Amino acid sequence: MIITGNGKFAVEVRELSRDYVSTRRNHLLGRKKTTIIRALDKVSFEIHEGELFGLLGPNGAGKTTTIKILCTLLEPTEGQVYVKGYDVVKDANHVRKIVNMVAGGERMLYLRLTGRENLEYFADLYNVSRREVSTRVNNLLELVGLSDRADDEVEKYSKGMKQRLQICRGLINDPEVVFLDEPTLGLDVNIAKDIRKFIREKIIKEQGKTVLLTTHYMFEAEEMCDRVGFLNKGKLVAVGPSDELKRRIPSGFSMEVLVTRSTDEVLEGLKHLEDVKKLITTDYEGQIDDEKINRLIINVDSDKAVPEVLNYMSTKHCRVVSVNLRGPTLEDLFMFYTGET
Amino acid sequence: MFLRVVLAEMKKNIKQYFFTSRVLFWTLALPLGNGLYFYFLYLPFEKGSVNLEFNASIFTLDLTGFTLIGQLLYSFFTMMLLAGVAFFSERWQGTLETVLLSPANRIALLLGMALANALNYMWLLMGVMFSWMIFLNVPVFIGDFLAFFASVLLSYLSIVALGMCFEALCIHSRRGHMYANMLQEPIMFFSGLIFPLQSMPRALLPISYLLPLTFGLISVRLTVLGGASIFDVAVPLGILASMAIVFFALAIWLIGYAERSAKAEATLTQF
Repeated sequence: MIITGNGKFAVEVRELSRDYVSTRRNHLLGRKKTTIIRALDKVSFEIHEGELFGLLGPNGAGKTTTIKILCTLLEPTEGQVYVKGYDVVKDANHVRKIVNMVAGGERMLYLRLTGRENLEYFADLYNVSRREVSTRVNNLLELVGLSDRADDEVEKYSKGMKQRLQICRGLINDPEVVFLDEPTLGLDVNIAKDIRKFIREKIIKEQGKTVLLTTHYMFEAEEMCDRVGFLNKGKLVAVGPSDELKRRIPSGFSMEVLVTRSTDEVLEGLKHLEDVKKLITTDYEGQIDDEKINRLIINVDSDKAVPEVLNYMSTKHCRVVSVNLRGPTLEDLFMFYTGET
Repeated sequence: MFLRVVLAEMKKNIKQYFFTSRVLFWTLALPLGNGLYFYFLYLPFEKGSVNLEFNASIFTLDLTGFTLIGQLLYSFFTMMLLAGVAFFSERWQGTLETVLLSPANRIALLLGMALANALNYMWLLMGVMFSWMIFLNVPVFIGDFLAFFASVLLSYLSIVALGMCFEALCIHSRRGHMYANMLQEPIMFFSGLIFPLQSMPRALLPISYLLPLTFGLISVRLTVLGGASIFDVAVPLGILASMAIVFFALAIWLIGYAERSAKAEATLTQF
């Protein structure tokens, strides 16, 4: 076995690109039209041993594509990827022994088998020592609180239970690197919180594994990740510890303003105020006196901007419902780097 | 490791297939219905017979037995052809990716799946069909038990190996399942399932000789109904053995190719 990567990092991604080829016909007998979509464009980053790295970005940014390449389920179009120094293309079989992946959602399990049978099946595929299978399966089930339902068919499990079983499956081979692709997707608040705690405390602190996490939930990444990377339209636009990235935002504060009657004209004028650096409008599900409320995130240099913004809105007859001034969050970073809400 | 994966795959598939006791009932009921169908189909001909020309000899075989064996092997063949459906269902369950994420030997996965499909109801099918032959007074004449066992075993192996090829195709693309479905009717026609091959135009015979089912039918019919010896069926048995080896080698190549191209073309998640 030849270690070809740097070897210093758990994961190294160098100039990684991936194209998807889409062919379609206008009608049944029409000529084929081929379109090439670049899902990843020269992405480079590395993950340290025992680190929890978050890969963030809007839908279609290339997060899942990156994870699939890292765990050998997709081939890169260009670039090199190493996991623990092993090339994911040339040495795919070795990489498969030391990684595992958990995706959000209810799929990826055999619904007619019991939770225990699912884990035993995957233990066989990973050639877990026969003496160890029973202990490992029991320990994992215990760890995620599924021991009492271990012998029920998975189809009888709730969504949260299926997700917890998925995590067990992802740990069945005691992987050195775990890829978590939106592991809390669609789960209710308490279960998602338990899973986050489990990842942070058991997988990272106790077992010392390296984790790459993708998520849509910015608070989740903020709460859990040592470092984050922002992917946007296939490009890695920023990478680093979230505190450091926050300092890179040119404006130091964000004003969250809930307001009604904010027409396009008003917003355009707001952008041109001296202290306003960036303005993002997001939908807000709420009304006051039958008027729709809009949520504005305004990046400003200092708190001096607050009266300026409020005065401007007052002159434009907007109704300000609430104002909240805060330091930048990961959500602001996300919006800053991706321009999305 | 190889055997462990084969057994794990078989266990998983069999458990999923017999997920309720009703499956067991239908597994029994379907071949019973098939037997009944053939009984009434040939009832107007009373005890007819069919002449099977083979190896410069003419074997006169009982018509009901001829078609029952045809139906038996055809059911098995179809089942193996559709074994790819198992991978197809892995696609929509989202488990295909988790299986291929593991370092498990791919041939062991295919073999386990194919054997599980073969075992799921083959034993019942055979039992019921042979019961029908006894019930319908089909004159079974096994002159050489070695020839009989060799015929059944080699038919089984060659068909399992071909089934593995279709499973491999289903890893590459969801269309593998569609191709397997499309092949069912032509195979029924070209293999000589309902009529002897000598009734078919000579120009079409080369197609028949590409199918393991054709040679399986010849050797099993001759050994079960015609008392043929191992020397009588040496040629079809040799062809069946060669086909088993070729299809098995093809499956090994196909699984590697299918997985590589599925990863290059990103077709693993299509369902």
